[in-house]
Amino acid sequence: MMRILGVLGLLVALYGGLVGTYVQNAPGFEPTSRTQERIQGNLIDVASIQGRYGVITLGAAMVIITGGIDLSIGAVVGCAAVLFGVLTQNGVHPFAALPLVVLAGAGVGFGNGLLITRLKLQPFLVTLCGMFVYRGAARLLAGSVSRTATVEAQPEFAASLQMIRYVLIGKDASGELLFPAQFVLLLVLAAVIGFFLHRTAYGRYWYAIGHNELAAKYAGVSVDRQRVWVYVVCSALAALAGVLLFLDMPSIQADSGGQYLELYAILGAVLGGCSLRGGEGTAVGMVLGAMVLPVLENLVNIRGLKSDLIPAVIGLTLLAGTILDEFIRRRSRARH
Amino acid sequence: MARWSRLVLVVAVAGGLAFIPACGKKDSGKPKIAVVTNCTDPFWDLAEAGANKAAQDFDVELTFRQPERMAAEVQKPIIDAWVNQGFNGIAVSVIDPKGQTEDLRLVAKKVTLVTMDNDAPDSGRVCYVGVDNKEAGRAVGRLIKKVLPNGGTLALFIGSTTSANGQARPAGVLEELATPEANGTPGKHPQRPELSGKFYGKYFLVDGEPKTDNGEKEKAASNVQAMLSRVDGVPDLCFAGLYAYNPPAILEAVRAKSLVGKVKIVGFDENPETLKAIADGHIEGTVVQDPYNYGYKSVEILAAEARGDTKKRVSGSAPYQVITREGGPTQDINNLRIQFPKAADYLTTMRDQLKIINK
Repeated sequence: MMRILGVLGLLVALYGGLVGTYVQNAPGFEPTSRTQERIQGNLIDVASIQGRYGVITLGAAMVIITGGIDLSIGAVVGCAAVLFGVLTQNGVHPFAALPLVVLAGAGVGFGNGLLITRLKLQPFLVTLCGMFVYRGAARLLAGSVSRTATVEAQPEFAASLQMIRYVLIGKDASGELLFPAQFVLLLVLAAVIGFFLHRTAYGRYWYAIGHNELAAKYAGVSVDRQRVWVYVVCSALAALAGVLLFLDMPSIQADSGGQYLELYAILGAVLGGCSLRGGEGTAVGMVLGAMVLPVLENLVNIRGLKSDLIPAVIGLTLLAGTILDEFIRRRSRARH
Repeated sequence: MARWSRLVLVVAVAGGLAFIPACGKKDSGKPKIAVVTNCTDPFWDLAEAGANKAAQDFDVELTFRQPERMAAEVQKPIIDAWVNQGFNGIAVSVIDPKGQTEDLRLVAKKVTLVTMDNDAPDSGRVCYVGVDNKEAGRAVGRLIKKVLPNGGTLALFIGSTTSANGQARPAGVLEELATPEANGTPGKHPQRPELSGKFYGKYFLVDGEPKTDNGEKEKAASNVQAMLSRVDGVPDLCFAGLYAYNPPAILEAVRAKSLVGKVKIVGFDENPETLKAIADGHIEGTVVQDPYNYGYKSVEILAAEARGDTKKRVSGSAPYQVITREGGPTQDINNLRIQFPKAADYLTTMRDQLKIINK
């Protein structure tokens, strides 16, 4: 419980800053209802991005709970987006392409997991190599993909693509974002993962492996199999996020699509209370942790900061949040 | 205890955020204009300087943003936040014209939209401020013709050939060299048959296409090094770098082999290194788009639109400029008034322009 108080506070502060900036900047003649409308529109935009970040954060967090790490997430996102584009362009129906891409992602995770458990390689190295391999694979598949290119090649897919887009992203045919469907998807996925994590034996295995792998093994947990599973889920979620990215964005460049997302996912997981040493973390924390960066980026955007200042401000805010989080936990531990 | 600590945290962070310096916190009643570029680059510092000057001249509140990476997924949230903030006008350097059109249409419905540097014609923007890259490419072609009037061997270097300007610039260069037969004839180098490529008029383009580096500066340098070793000993060489960082990368590699002057270099854009090298006679010339003017014009147009004045809109493409060591008189080329400033003068002007943003 204590682990999510810090991130909760950070979020409250960020959202407070956001709404405050709107009220502060609102033109004098504007009716309050219009300001509210603009705030609402902005929050929906932010929630949409939070949803996508959240999906990959869930995967990263599960890997981290078992004491592993996955640096290939961003590359898998990019590769999956490109794969989805290439498949649909070449006549694979979007309804079939979606599960195929997620399956391919699961396959990637399976490969990562096998290398880590069977060959006893370091997760850091395996997934770092994976990062280059999957980025390279994306570039081999295509230079760039987009919905427009798919629809041009396969006009009959336009309606079904739009349907998936409406359901998963929340955008209508004109591209207007009506509701943050990605965030809804995140909540559903978080509920499922939370159920496994906190209500089933599997969850207990994962925490046990993260706490002390050897002890878990002696206690009869099939450690290798469980660890492979976690990587499978992580990469499958990354592939799903790739499809979301494809549906949401005007186009995906193979060399840059999804870049740095692994770091954002790990950041979200750690802010949300996962310890990089393993064995700690909650589903609620993962969702909250994933929400921080998009709202922080939005805040610096609407405050009109100088471009050169922005990276430093983002980094320092995150650092301040982490320090205060640590401070709270130490004090509460001392009291107990 | 926990509640107390949480309160401290919230207050501390909220306090920290309140100290984030913001441009124009209170609503000043001035029109609010924003400009977003496609990435962070010295090129855009000049545009930022121009935009700031225009914001002073036309009394508007300006937010200028250079995103961290060149990706539509980075640019879009920035634009969306501004739209929701109730800005009056936004200028965008479009990254992916085809794909972004749909999103930009929604933006144009709510605020006045101007495209600059790279256009999205169907987005509902009121106008486009930018150079015709193919015309500018032709100007590079004319520089090459001037440097090697009797023909020669040519290598092109560029960041990418998938973006709109990455396609138009080399196409313009080669069209100018090969007019009227612009597609090039495949063939082998006359003296060095192991080099395959294409003939464009009297010019042989090694490999028949530009060498690309995806914006990676190290790759840009190694591309030139590899090319230099392949064409070792070939006479009448010209290397043309078509993205801002390419000409300095070429010069660096040419210097490393002590081939300055033997390998002619022609550039694009106004990298200070390029301009200095032109003034020193190490690079023959460069074609610039005048990004200062991109920033200035965009803000001028948006400021006028915010006050209901539509007369400032521009049509057609903006003129480029050709910079050489000696300079030359202004000429009319294909309906554009083209200036030929001296490199040293242009460098001085540029430094003065940048003072407004303290760079």
